[in-house]
Amino acid sequence: MTTTLNELRTDALREIGNIGLGGAVTALSDLTGVLFTLEAPQVLTMDTGALPSLCCVAPESLVVGTVSRVNGDWAGEAAFLFPWESARVLWQILVQTAPEGLEDLSELYQSVINEVSNIMLGNYLQGISQMTGFTMHMEPPAFAADMAMAVLSSILVEALYGQRELLAIETAFKTPEHEFRGYFLYLPETGNLEKLFGVLGI
Amino acid sequence: MAEVKLAGMGEIVWTRSTGALGCIGLGSCVGTLLFDPRTQAAALAHVMLPEAHDHDALTMPGKYAVTAVPALLRLLDTPQTLASRLKAILIGGGELFQNRSQALRIGERNVETLHRILSELRIGVVFEHTRGSSGRSFEFDVATGLIRVRAVGATPVEQDLSTALGIFRRAA
Repeated sequence: MTTTLNELRTDALREIGNIGLGGAVTALSDLTGVLFTLEAPQVLTMDTGALPSLCCVAPESLVVGTVSRVNGDWAGEAAFLFPWESARVLWQILVQTAPEGLEDLSELYQSVINEVSNIMLGNYLQGISQMTGFTMHMEPPAFAADMAMAVLSSILVEALYGQRELLAIETAFKTPEHEFRGYFLYLPETGNLEKLFGVLGI
Repeated sequence: MAEVKLAGMGEIVWTRSTGALGCIGLGSCVGTLLFDPRTQAAALAHVMLPEAHDHDALTMPGKYAVTAVPALLRLLDTPQTLASRLKAILIGGGELFQNRSQALRIGERNVETLHRILSELRIGVVFEHTRGSSGRSFEFDVATGLIRVRAVGATPVEQDLSTALGIFRRAA
């Protein structure tokens, strides 16, 4: 079962992405002391099972990311992805050091990324909650560092398996001060979209 | 290596005697390749899930382990009763995300399901690079039998499978 998307609903999903991640990016700016800005969110449908070119990164390039399960009224899976060089920017800012390669990726570095994801996702959910009155809570993130395509496809396959809507809201964020890009994906569970559109009256 | 025909998620590609087949960025997915020594043809499916529970099993048989193997047999023009003359290569099925709260173990279950189906058809697996926690890309050269598997932060694995697959040696 898939919800039909018209232009109004797609716009609403973009706006949800904007409002939710606006707060999340502000939290990241507070945490790092660096100003981060949002790009316009995109609503991506994945109806054929073919992977959309999420993230403008080469398929085999190294990315670092987390996935967190969200329970409650707007249940789904949330993922943050950072190209390796962008993750290194975060590490430099937050712990004043960064691993050279995968072999140096200690638990400290993993927990920094997990914490960034936690703070951002918490703020994202709070933004959605204020707008909709939905109650949600998130589970601790799971961490991965691997080829972009392998990480993305693993997230997508789990979404397919979980009978989620084959839809993702992608938002990129960046900062003019560093060569940095971060990506946020939300894959809502089947039925949640209708609930959301119901609350918004569209 | 010859030009590589890549199988995207859920897709099937094939070739005979020349060229190479491969997949890029396999996470929990499994690149499932069958080779027919008799015709020197190879077919590859980029399997995403163990069982079909969607409506697209007919239109995208390569997506599910249970429909991908029969589709590869049809492509190689091999009835199930003669499937044992085929050889298999399996790549992928990793679990990239560590400490998942609800572990679905899709990579592991893909690999298990494929092994069960292949062993029921008495198809021997001549090369396997599966499970673990890393993503993989690979290419298989049909003319030479050379397979190359890449993973992030690891030395690429290269192996000559020409003998195991019964690839005809042609005079240079």
